Amino acid sequence: MSETGAGRPGGSGQGDPEDPVAREAVLARAFVRLADTLASDFDIVDFLHGLSADSVEILRAEAAGVMLADARGGLRLIASSDERMRLLELFELQGAQGPCLDAFSTGRPVQASAADSRARWPVFAPEASGAGFRVMCAVPLRVRTNVIGALNLFRGSDEPFTGAEMEIAQAMAEMAAIALIQERALRERHLLTEQLQAALSSRVIIEQAKGMLAEYLTMTADDAFKLLRIYARDHNRKLSAIASDVVNRNIPSAALARRPGPQP
Amino acid sequence: MRDDGRRARIMAAVAEQDAAAGPGELLQRLCRFAVEEMTLSGCALILMSGAESASLLAGAGRHASTITGLQMELGEGPCLQAHASGIPVFLPDLTAENANRWPAFAAAALAVGVQAEFSLPLTGGLGGIGTLDLCRDRPGMLSDEHLADALVTADIARDAVLYQPYAPGGPGVAELLAAVGTDRIVIYQATGMIAAQLDDTIANALARLRAAAFASGRSMYDIAQDVVERRVRFDE
Repeated sequence: MSETGAGRPGGSGQGDPEDPVAREAVLARAFVRLADTLASDFDIVDFLHGLSADSVEILRAEAAGVMLADARGGLRLIASSDERMRLLELFELQGAQGPCLDAFSTGRPVQASAADSRARWPVFAPEASGAGFRVMCAVPLRVRTNVIGALNLFRGSDEPFTGAEMEIAQAMAEMAAIALIQERALRERHLLTEQLQAALSSRVIIEQAKGMLAEYLTMTADDAFKLLRIYARDHNRKLSAIASDVVNRNIPSAALARRPGPQP
Repeated sequence: MRDDGRRARIMAAVAEQDAAAGPGELLQRLCRFAVEEMTLSGCALILMSGAESASLLAGAGRHASTITGLQMELGEGPCLQAHASGIPVFLPDLTAENANRWPAFAAAALAVGVQAEFSLPLTGGLGGIGTLDLCRDRPGMLSDEHLADALVTADIARDAVLYQPYAPGGPGVAELLAAVGTDRIVIYQATGMIAAQLDDTIANALARLRAAAFASGRSMYDIAQDVVERRVRFDE
């Protein structure tokens, strides 16, 4: 999981971060990776690990993590730049407070110094400080009004994130959000197409099997359908799979006519 | 096809009466809209996962079920190619040479008065879900305006089939499929019966049924009906 494949986000490891041109190049590559969700082996966790790693490098942070809203609207840590973060994020969830939660619930970027954070998040701040983090920010993963999570960045120094850095963080988070939402829609559409095609095909094959059984066993199509259903239930298999076996003669018609039972 | 203005106009035309119409009604209205707007003699929304499963989900105009039935029964026609390739097929003149790719379909369609046929694939991610077929009783290509409308209509139909069933309170795939014309069922059952009578494969049984229809000049559906009601056997 730590080693990300080509074509996905994940620390390019090139370029001096102090050199603006090199930094721009790193940023450009990161954006290209963020846009690439069409790979057949796309993996959300890998993708968000890449976002964490890229944002740490580009924004000169010490650690980063991405949290996404789960089905009940709660935030869950999906990826982080290192394992130390995970403890913090878990704690943040439990305490129901912290920069990620604020960015997620307001849909706006959040930045806090050590002093700010003590005032804002009395439970979270001491943990952050204990882990060596002094400055923190979070930006929402947002597409228009749809907020799906937040990207959290931490610095060990007292140097605040500049306005430009906050904008870069926000742009990366938005890019990731667009990619995730598109990928979700694409996956949904593939699934629905497959379901529909399977339903159409199984309709055909079930009717064919009914006709075949009706002929072999000299019965009505309705009775043939009952036999198919009973056989499928007794063998704990799908109706369309049994129909396919009947049509292809993998199951002899006579087998369905016998008094059904798990041990024939 | 990104044309939100066109899409909005067509949606407004088909959704005007009551917003609560189910997907089946919406699809029906889309077909009626196409027939009126583009002066068609038929508009058919055909669902398929393969040639055998082609079914009319919604249609308008006197030729809608004819062009669907012909292509399914003959096992050839532009909708099968449009579905398989994901690329529209335009046959503005069925007497022209390019319609010879489907000689049986072209001849049969002309015989019932269809002169032009257009098949637009409904693409849904991996592979498509069917086609929107448009036909006319006079030859000629669709105007640019009508073609653009047709492509957007196909997109709306695709979205209605793929997404609407999953809207809260909407019907699922199974219910949508239940609305699909049931006349195909007779053909599927008859094919199974013929395969049993001949102790042969489904594909060969279908070919025999098709051949019998061709030889007798009757429709495959009529012969299938005879088989299912045990008036005709193929092993005699």
